[in-house]
Amino acid sequence: MLRRIALSMVLAGTMAAAIPAYAQQTQVRMWTFLNPAGTTPREVALKTIIENFEKANPDIDVVVEPQAWDQMTPKFLAANNAGNAPDVIWVVTDFLGDAIKSGSLASLNDLFIKDWSEEQVADRAGAYWDLTNVDGVQHALFTSRNYISIVYRKDFFDEAGIDPASITTWDEFLKAAEELTVKDSSGQVTRYGFVQGFSENQADPPMMIPYMLGKGAELFNADGTANFASPEGVEALTFQTDLIKKYNVMPEAAVSWTVDDVYEQFASGRAAMILGASVRVSTLQSQLDKDKVGMMLWPGSGDMAHSPAVMAGWAVGVWSKSPVQEQAGKFVDYMLGPDGDKLWVEEGGQSPGLVSTLEGLGDFPQQPGNEYLQVVSEGSAKYGWLAPIDFSIGGYRQSLNKAAQAVVVNGTDPQQALEDAASEFDRANNR
Amino acid sequence: MHSRHAGLTYIVPAFALLGLVLFSPVFYGFWFSLFRIQYGAPTDFVGLDNFVRLLDDPTLGGTLSRSTVFTVFAVLFTILIALALSVWIHKLGEKRGFIVQMIVIVPWIISTVVATLLFRWVFVNDIGLALSLARMAGFNDIRLLNDPTSAMTLLIAVSVWKRIGYAVIILLAGLKSIPDDYEEAALIDGANSWQIFRRITLPLLKTPLLLVAIVLTLSNLNTVETPLVLTGGGPGNATRILPIEVFDRAFVNYDLGSATALALVMFLGNILLVLAYVRLAKWKT
Repeated sequence: MLRRIALSMVLAGTMAAAIPAYAQQTQVRMWTFLNPAGTTPREVALKTIIENFEKANPDIDVVVEPQAWDQMTPKFLAANNAGNAPDVIWVVTDFLGDAIKSGSLASLNDLFIKDWSEEQVADRAGAYWDLTNVDGVQHALFTSRNYISIVYRKDFFDEAGIDPASITTWDEFLKAAEELTVKDSSGQVTRYGFVQGFSENQADPPMMIPYMLGKGAELFNADGTANFASPEGVEALTFQTDLIKKYNVMPEAAVSWTVDDVYEQFASGRAAMILGASVRVSTLQSQLDKDKVGMMLWPGSGDMAHSPAVMAGWAVGVWSKSPVQEQAGKFVDYMLGPDGDKLWVEEGGQSPGLVSTLEGLGDFPQQPGNEYLQVVSEGSAKYGWLAPIDFSIGGYRQSLNKAAQAVVVNGTDPQQALEDAASEFDRANNR
Repeated sequence: MHSRHAGLTYIVPAFALLGLVLFSPVFYGFWFSLFRIQYGAPTDFVGLDNFVRLLDDPTLGGTLSRSTVFTVFAVLFTILIALALSVWIHKLGEKRGFIVQMIVIVPWIISTVVATLLFRWVFVNDIGLALSLARMAGFNDIRLLNDPTSAMTLLIAVSVWKRIGYAVIILLAGLKSIPDDYEEAALIDGANSWQIFRRITLPLLKTPLLLVAIVLTLSNLNTVETPLVLTGGGPGNATRILPIEVFDRAFVNYDLGSATALALVMFLGNILLVLAYVRLAKWKT
């Protein structure tokens, strides 16, 4: 009995000693699609960043609550109104305008940018900075910058003797896709030249967007209505679906494939080129081999050497009603600052967010397997397109994919398919 | 303490909790649907505008009829196959019956997303096991998700496969509760197997059958994971059913007003369906 009492007292004493230490820590909640317990390069990088930050700031405990990426931002906006949103949020580009206009993102100027030097601000200058800056207020900083263009198998290109840099027109792209398509003795295709998914579930921006943009067309009108059915749009959709119907360099099954299906096809050697995101290259390289995966810019049209690729990414901000804004801001500043940015690049395989990071990497981007970082840097600087934030564009990728499905499956005329997609998009967005 | 209100004091806390958990989201949803929603927050009061907008949507009629087709066939096939399986398992010995039961239950106990992904990888993906075997057998052009009819058939098949375990468990429990004396008496009276099943077993399974029918109808009518993961609603609108419509309105187009209105209409439909089932079956407790 006495032993039990003594043991209880020791335990109680230990807990009492521990509680104040724990209570002194401020908890910062963060929503992201990355799980620091995961094993992908980006998840490993995030884990390292958090560990380093907590080591330097023992009074702050960063807690990640992983979310489904496509539902995270709407959920955040709902949580903002309910008053229980996380302190740090990663906002998807499609809903960035909604997040800023809702007032759910705190001014980062007030939190930490006010302390930056002019050089630090200049270090971030560019399209991504401008997109999150409204009336001089910085609402978020971009990370996991995503450049969506062509991911290719270097080994297949070498076998076929094709230089990716030589693909600068859509005709050359088609020729390469045909040469890279392989058939077996029975005439069945065992490897397709190019693959992208057309499912409405997990839809990446389809190839027809860079095709249209490269021809000088706009995807949306000034009032936010869809401009899909322009002559350039019809030409782009026709080219895209002809890859399946006419040239047989893309499988018909792609109409039901999601983004993940496409990456599986690529990893299994069933596709030589895919529509892919720069943020996925490091994962693909870890699955295959660093030397087997490369990235190239879209082919160009007319005077434009390369068509603009859709750039996306995650705008990281601090919740405007967070009770721990100061600590949350401190973490965002670190995570996307010079130390964090370097880790995102070297461990996470991401393209750098700071000019100084790129300069400080030395020959890292030239090393075998890292060349895609140069492609992304060049593309982001010269051939990129960021979705507008003046109006909500949720569902545009799904609408365009549905138009492609209609052409391939039902044989719908591309003009009609795009008009249907445009009216559906407008109706769904109350325009 | 023996007053007429004593009983009330015992049940009020439980009812209050039930009301809070079950009904408050419905009332909140209804209140929410009466406003224009901007950035996730209710702004101007618009009355029934969000509901009227649903009526103005020319695509919603098609979505409703596809939902009906999907639910009716999925429930019907699940019950028919589950009934046959249950009767078979009931007649098997204890060990063999247990093994078959476990096999049938597996798809039901794993998460819907995982089960659907597994089904897709094994049976649908062109690098999956089934299509690889089909190719080896000379069937090269199988693209089940590209054709509107086969995509819907596949969606129904996945739903049946996923939920059959639940139906088997309930029906098997029902079968086990029927005393053997009834069958023995019928046999003495000269009834054959079909007559015993038709006149004795089936009527005594009425309650579990009704329960299975209600649960399956509701779960099929409200499932979003299976169609989202398997077909994404495509090709075109071929497998676009009501739950996907709600999901897209809420999470793709972020139109929470009409998404809530549609969800409420579905909720009302669910209640009416349950009442109709109970009335049709003349269920008595």
